[in-house]
Amino acid sequence: MSAAALVFLCALATALATGLGALPFLFVRTLSERAVAFSNAVAAGLMLGASFGLVSEGTLYGRGATLGGALLGVVFMLFTQRLLGEHHGEGLAFATGRGEDARRMLLMMAVMTMHSFSEGVAVGVSFGGGVTLATLITVAIAVHNVPEGVAITAVMRPRGVSVLRCAGWSIVSSLPQPVMAVPAFLFVDAFRPALPWGLGFAAGAMILMVLVELLPEAFNQGRRPAVATVTALSLVAMVLLQRLL
Amino acid sequence: MAPLDPTLSVLLYSSVAAFAAGLGALPQAFRRRLPLALLGWSNALAAGLMLGVAYALLNAGLAERATVAAGGIGALLGLSLVRVAHVGTGTEGMDLNRLDEMGPAYGYQVALVNALHAAHEGVAIGAAMLVSVHFGISMAIALAIHNIPEAMVLVSILAGRGVRVRHAAALAVAVNANQVLTAVVTFAVVRALPVLFPWAVGFAVGALIYLVLAELLPESYRQAGHTGIALVTLVAMGIVVALGGTA
Repeated sequence: MSAAALVFLCALATALATGLGALPFLFVRTLSERAVAFSNAVAAGLMLGASFGLVSEGTLYGRGATLGGALLGVVFMLFTQRLLGEHHGEGLAFATGRGEDARRMLLMMAVMTMHSFSEGVAVGVSFGGGVTLATLITVAIAVHNVPEGVAITAVMRPRGVSVLRCAGWSIVSSLPQPVMAVPAFLFVDAFRPALPWGLGFAAGAMILMVLVELLPEAFNQGRRPAVATVTALSLVAMVLLQRLL
Repeated sequence: MAPLDPTLSVLLYSSVAAFAAGLGALPQAFRRRLPLALLGWSNALAAGLMLGVAYALLNAGLAERATVAAGGIGALLGLSLVRVAHVGTGTEGMDLNRLDEMGPAYGYQVALVNALHAAHEGVAIGAAMLVSVHFGISMAIALAIHNIPEAMVLVSILAGRGVRVRHAAALAVAVNANQVLTAVVTFAVVRALPVLFPWAVGFAVGALIYLVLAELLPESYRQAGHTGIALVTLVAMGIVVALGGTA
């Protein structure tokens, strides 16, 4: 097997791991308003923690480029929101949802899918022209992807999407990873300068999504101390998990 | 000029943060009523700076795998302590920026919760100073900015009850003064016992993030639009990350 094919398969495996993030929701029976608030809080914390990781990786390649990328990510999200939100989601349909629900789910898919493009480049570059550490990198990224599946499911499941379909959408959101990993692996030198921009872009878009959509909704539905606790714990856990990988 | 002794830097900058609370009296000196949107923007600015510093602390203080356990438990402790302080003072989930229809206990509750915050904030300044003086200064500036709107509310409540503005400003500073103590103590103790370093950093991170999420953001969301608040918070975070280069 050629090295490029191996990179593709590894990145595909990590994309499939994203689907595992839906599994915990098999054990959540009732989706009361409080459970929805917790779901949003978990998603918010995991995404903030993931963004912290992206920024710290991006600044290794270039601080200015990472911040520039973050600015682009924010602009992209504002533009997408405007595009989807002009009529408060009227006429939109996504999975089982319509209107405002569909708008929220579409935004979530947009932001998570966009961020997978940068992650795919990061995977390709981290293979760095050699595949000796392939297993280690693959396991690390696969574990890192699971909470992202949790975040996506946490937004979709309360809107009536089945666990299986949540798993499917989680995997879809990660498919850009294998697609981007191969060219990034083959042309490391060409892709490396773009990496901090991509990582920053992903972080900016995710943080904006958390601050504009997920947290306000969580605070509307749940009690403040509970939402804050769940979000803070998810954030710290995500950052520390990345340290261990 | 000789570089300042590190302990004196902690003392100096944590005092600056505490005294910034006195600036909270400015709106009262010029006009009667506080614009709520202004409180929202300042809260969002403080939230972003504090999140940025939490990010920087996590990066600089808990970068090693060996520090993960201590940092995690420290964060849990920091978070729990702020929560316990809220529950203990009956200010859990309370709106701290309310300017109308206040109960008789509201003024003292706000003063009490501000004083308890100040203690955690001092630990954060001390922990940040241990990472580097530069971080410590960013932290102190972030907290100074956070102290101003906090004090604006307190001064506004007290002035509404006939307390003179300069007396209210003095009380606002006094309420924040304990952060000087906790900052210097944290710095001195951890410097003497370096094994406590990841615990202190974790504690500061947990307390900061919880404060941002439990108080600053929910309040600012109600005082100004979601998108505006998000942008101010993001810009403030970006400033801290940008400044991190010279740490």
